[in-house]
Amino acid sequence: MSVFSQAFLVTWLTAGIRLGGPVLLAALGETFAERSGILNLGIEGILLLGALASYLTSIHTGSLWLPLFAAMLTGFAAALFLAWMYVTVRASQVVVGLVFNVLALGIAATVYRRTLAHASPGPIAMFQAVHIPWVSDLPIVGPTLFSQTLPLYLTLVLVVVAHFALFHTRFGLGLRAAGENPRAADAAGISVPRMRYLGTLISGAAAGLAGGYLVLAQIGLFRDSIVAGQGFIALGIVIFGRWSPWKAALAAMVFGTCDALQLSLQLLGTHLPEELLLSIPYVVTILAISGIFGGRDVRPAALAVPYAKEA
Amino acid sequence: MRLLVRRLTPNNSPAAIATTMLAAILAAMAIASLLFLDFGANPLSAYYALFHEPFGTLRGFGYAVVKATPLTLIALGTIVACRSGFTYLGFEGCFTLGAAASAWLALATAPGQWAASLSPLLFFPAAVLISFTVGALWSGLTGILRARFGGNEVLISLMSNYVAILIVKYLVAGPMRAPGSLPETDQLPHATWLAFIIPGTRGHAGVLIALAAAFLVWMLLRKLPLGFELIVSGLNPAAARYAGIDVARRTLLAAALSGGLGALAGLTEILGVQHRLMDGISGGVGFTGVIVALLAEMNPIAVLPTALIYGGMTVGADAMQRRAGIPSSITFILQSLIVLFVLASSMLRYYRFNFAALRSKKEAMQA
Repeated sequence: MSVFSQAFLVTWLTAGIRLGGPVLLAALGETFAERSGILNLGIEGILLLGALASYLTSIHTGSLWLPLFAAMLTGFAAALFLAWMYVTVRASQVVVGLVFNVLALGIAATVYRRTLAHASPGPIAMFQAVHIPWVSDLPIVGPTLFSQTLPLYLTLVLVVVAHFALFHTRFGLGLRAAGENPRAADAAGISVPRMRYLGTLISGAAAGLAGGYLVLAQIGLFRDSIVAGQGFIALGIVIFGRWSPWKAALAAMVFGTCDALQLSLQLLGTHLPEELLLSIPYVVTILAISGIFGGRDVRPAALAVPYAKEA
Repeated sequence: MRLLVRRLTPNNSPAAIATTMLAAILAAMAIASLLFLDFGANPLSAYYALFHEPFGTLRGFGYAVVKATPLTLIALGTIVACRSGFTYLGFEGCFTLGAAASAWLALATAPGQWAASLSPLLFFPAAVLISFTVGALWSGLTGILRARFGGNEVLISLMSNYVAILIVKYLVAGPMRAPGSLPETDQLPHATWLAFIIPGTRGHAGVLIALAAAFLVWMLLRKLPLGFELIVSGLNPAAARYAGIDVARRTLLAAALSGGLGALAGLTEILGVQHRLMDGISGGVGFTGVIVALLAEMNPIAVLPTALIYGGMTVGADAMQRRAGIPSSITFILQSLIVLFVLASSMLRYYRFNFAALRSKKEAMQA
């Protein structure tokens, strides 16, 4: 198999899209939080809790969709707490997010030890690849894009939904206003706290779902190390994707394919250090968000700035 | 009449702050107690175990000091950065690179290597210098992106952690790898180990570096004009510029100092504890240090006891796990709940007890 063969290309891109799926889902949710002015660093922890919830539900019910729902619910509940800290308490979003990640790690490790460490459950039911009729027979795009799992298709649909919700609805306008200029939004009768609660809750539900996605469609087991920075990668995707769902999808593709390239090149036995390839997405993100290349600063102007209505 | 009445402004008296903080800590401990009960342990004896090992035994105290040393250095780095208005979260990376730099120099002093003639007396200053420089350059990159190009330092520094960790992963898997099955370096020559200075324990001389750093950071921020300029740049960049302070340059300096301190944390870990470089050496300490700085209210002296308590709890948790089978991860929960509840407790200061209502109710009942 050479680097230029079609088989290599197909394997590589398929893996790339597969690996980019969960982070894209988390990034889509985070886009809503950040557009409303909330930098939710806690999605790393929510991913972990979602993964745990879905795994526990899966081994107890054997169902496929119920665990996904449990993951989303867990993410929602965690985000409710986070939103209260971010919006009502108006604590530093960076600190709350980071500490919450430690809390989530503690909860996941403790619950895992409490329930699973001594019993070793068998394999769980996982989402299998679904070949979409007709289009999955196309060369290259067929196997890469149309022979993936249901959660991936769901994520791609959500890209469209997220774009529509953000840029073509009243709700999206209000949300973005709360993140750009909360004072003006307030004056226009939009409840800034409400928008920010909603943004955080959406990011929590999406991150929880992404955790379930990770377990149910990719890994099939739970360890407290399975998330390992994917939440932070999702944050990078949001910035790299310039707070737009479409571009986030492209950014997730770049991350996924860099990740997959390293796997594929290892299979080929090339001598490029894998760490070099693995670092590409991060370096690209750093450069993309560095401001070196100028470009319009599209960051929500009030990102991570708590808002207090003046009494 | 309601018993709790909302105030327009929070009560900021020291007594109110102390009361609400205490309430927050007790609430966090109460929740952790439920977890102890769930694991079949008496909460009181669990808390006893948690604090007795690190603060009631010499061996445990030595370990607590060992754990507190890198936490202190990273917390100090956080303080320098934060008070200068630079939210730096890249300490995992600085720690790892600082560890790698000192390991590199230490390995070079092995017999037959180019620095074999370096006397131990010169080695330690050289190691401090080199790892501080590497850390400072690394965080300085983030500083330049922020100061020159207006990049967001929070996210850039978060991302830079992964790059630094991958660089070190490459080093231990390739150029610095020792023959053997594991991706790690050779053990460092004994002459390069930090001396164990607390007799009968693993407490090493790295704690002296941390103490000196705390003193120097305190000097800088409280006594020197430069520190004043840093703080002013952080509080109000526009005013600082108006007063003739080169804010971009101060930001860069703060970034470099904090990264250098983070790298020294890596040095103490490698020369004092691990004695060889391997992948995943930081283990989250770069984030815990930030939390310690926060709990110490960004005060360089208060960092010392805070880091000791935090490090001690880690030691106590390990002991708890060994003896009572209670997972040490409960300590993560306890520690983070304390921080979150302390933050949330500021809400309590918006309320006051309406004792008048209580009295009138009692009178009404008596009547």
